[in-house]
Amino acid sequence: MKNKSDEELVKLIVQNHRPALEELYDRYINLIYSFSLKMTKGDTEKTKEIVQLVFLRLWTTKRTYSASQGKFANWILTITRNIAIDLIRKEHKHKGTVQLDHNEWEKIQGQQSEHVLQEVSNNLLKQQIQEAKHQLSEPQKRLINLLYWEGYSLSEIAQLEEKPLGTIKSRLNQTLKKLRNYFSEETGGVRHGK
Amino acid sequence: MENKCENLSLYIIDQLSEHEKEQFKRHLKTCAHCQNELESLQETWQTLSYDMEEVDAPDSLKMEVMDFIFKEDKTEKAKKESPLYPIKLFLTKHFSPLSAGMTAILIISFTGLLWYNLHLKDTITALEDEMASPTQIVRTFNLKGQDTAASANGTAYLLQEGHDNSLIIELNNMPGTKDDEVYQVWLLNNGNRQNAGTIKPDQNGNGLITYRMPKDQSFDDIGITLEPNPNNTQPKGRKVMGTI
Repeated sequence: MKNKSDEELVKLIVQNHRPALEELYDRYINLIYSFSLKMTKGDTEKTKEIVQLVFLRLWTTKRTYSASQGKFANWILTITRNIAIDLIRKEHKHKGTVQLDHNEWEKIQGQQSEHVLQEVSNNLLKQQIQEAKHQLSEPQKRLINLLYWEGYSLSEIAQLEEKPLGTIKSRLNQTLKKLRNYFSEETGGVRHGK
Repeated sequence: MENKCENLSLYIIDQLSEHEKEQFKRHLKTCAHCQNELESLQETWQTLSYDMEEVDAPDSLKMEVMDFIFKEDKTEKAKKESPLYPIKLFLTKHFSPLSAGMTAILIISFTGLLWYNLHLKDTITALEDEMASPTQIVRTFNLKGQDTAASANGTAYLLQEGHDNSLIIELNNMPGTKDDEVYQVWLLNNGNRQNAGTIKPDQNGNGLITYRMPKDQSFDDIGITLEPNPNNTQPKGRKVMGTI
């Protein structure tokens, strides 16, 4: 099992091969767990629920992954994020509101900035993201946070921000491009090999 | 075109409706600009997921996750081992409970109807056979009383029903019989007498007899005698009626 590629493991899972599922679990559990923990803002019970659903889906849906679809980690994180957002949105609905008052928002921001300071990581990718985020304006950072991590839709964000949907859409365009340009500069641009 | 390019980022973050998604996919095939942008922006969006603090999952989690999956799976397997499972699976796959119920009712009704139809067809065939060979009166005989039954009269009908012949004799104003006395019908053929049954008239003197004729039996005349007791093979009493 240890020598098998992620792609081969997924193929074995399709054939109901339990050791292959356990091997994938061992390889990616920390990534999936950490990601889910952030999505649930540190709620370990909800995190467990998400992790269970991710591996159940992997075991039952028999969706095949091929390396041509990109990195396995990205593939499994997309699945994880979809499951987490389903869960979060159910809660939004349950609370019956998408309103987040500004004080609460700043509190979250504050916690996260502290997090950023505390983080000591060798993960280059993460450092890059942190740096890239410094390039973003406050509204752009808020947008990414609400959209990516909190699972709000663009129109809900427009409501929260009290801005027309069109403004939020173009803000998204600008934000993604800004991040992209920063990443490509880092990896393939002038700063590469520094 | 410009308008559709705006949907690129919404496509990447998966916030287009199904219809819009299809539209955008068609646009993507023809738009070099969006094709160039798609991959790098998608990667950027996916890279955001690494903006997290990596922690170790608790060791106990693996057992919980595996139990969660394989307990579910076991009950699935148990279901699958049941011999009816393939049928059940087929039904549940193709029909909702409501439509399955309705289908069952339809199948039952259909079977019932089919059986009823077959049954009806048999009945009709039988009726048609009968209609194909209707009962015909081949000959009619008038009977007149004599002696003690001079007041009596009657009619006999020779019926042909397919290949079968039968004789119906209807008598009126017959004097009543005493004790074991019966009127006995004889068929006369070239001086030979053949017993064709007995009659006891009712209070009003009416009597009726049906006699199924054996094959190949024929007769010229009908005679009726008053017999002291029934079932004689040859007449013992007096003749009281006959064909005119």
